[in-house]
Amino acid sequence: MGRVFDWLDNRFGLKKPHARFLQRRVPSDLGYTYCFGGMAFAYFLMLALSGVLLSLYYVPSEKEAFRSIVMITNEVRMGWLIRGLHKWSASLFIISIILHTTRVFVSKSYRPPRDLNWIVGVITFALVMFSGFTGYLLPWDQKAYWATEVGTAMATNVPFVGINIMNALRGGPEVSGATLIRFYSLHILYLPFLISALLWAHFHMVKRQGINRNL
Amino acid sequence: MTRRAFLANVIKAFFAMLVAAAVAVSCYVYPTVSRMRRLHFVFAVDEDELPKRGVRKVEFKYTVDDNEMLNRAFLVAGDNGLIAFSPVCTHLGCYINWDNNRKEFLCPCHGGRYDVNGRVIAGPPPKPLNRLPVKIDSGRVYIGVTI
Repeated sequence: MGRVFDWLDNRFGLKKPHARFLQRRVPSDLGYTYCFGGMAFAYFLMLALSGVLLSLYYVPSEKEAFRSIVMITNEVRMGWLIRGLHKWSASLFIISIILHTTRVFVSKSYRPPRDLNWIVGVITFALVMFSGFTGYLLPWDQKAYWATEVGTAMATNVPFVGINIMNALRGGPEVSGATLIRFYSLHILYLPFLISALLWAHFHMVKRQGINRNL
Repeated sequence: MTRRAFLANVIKAFFAMLVAAAVAVSCYVYPTVSRMRRLHFVFAVDEDELPKRGVRKVEFKYTVDDNEMLNRAFLVAGDNGLIAFSPVCTHLGCYINWDNNRKEFLCPCHGGRYDVNGRVIAGPPPKPLNRLPVKIDSGRVYIGVTI
């Protein structure tokens, strides 16, 4: 396969482990609907890569956040592209997850012993939605501010502790710079780590249990 | 085309895309401003065109990287000598005007008002007007801009 690759492979041994995790037995009657999960994971990787790049220029402070977004979009070379990739991948990520979930539901792949994997998937989906919610605030424009104002206020509908949940989400009684830093930290540290761990468990169970057949 | 040849082409296209992505990312990572910015004094107006006491709006031109730039400032002559103010409101960046009847700088956008020394009298501006470096050299007034 090309001289450069062979040189690398003779030293690094790239082909052998590749064969181990790429050559798996899958049922022959799987259709394209079984690709939605893989598509979702591809979008997750895109989000991770573009997000890491965005963090080079984004400033998570009350005064600088909006300005830095404008700078990324208009001044930084290719900044519009990286930001666009992050934004569109986020939407398509959630759409792919919904399609994937629909496929799993229709093909009854949630039945034991795959019930635990369904549960892991649902938790991942909830965390992804929360990731989308926290990311929405980061441009720190009017739309972001009011979406977060309304979204966090919904927590007050929880009986007894609603107001406490809202305060904890906002880092204070109102949406402020504290909320921005909180959401930024959740968006780039806590949630990606948690989602990665859950995805590992998700894939591990698929590998152990195999892919369910169409009914 | 055999399936094997087709897949080989797909892999080549994939690596070509990786190279394109690497180029785009390099462009993105490299800073937009890679030149040190320094203070330059630009000629604004002759000293004898300034009032003894009062405010005068000046426009001055200079070139940055072959681009013609037009900038404005308010020159205030008074007890403290000559002071240059940036005409940009410290609230949201609108251009302010000098009202000679009220002896105030007025911002048309949100009603910010500054006195002749650039201090905020009323309205939303959080800070006094920004001062610009100014110097007089053999009868000519120069204003400092960072280029």
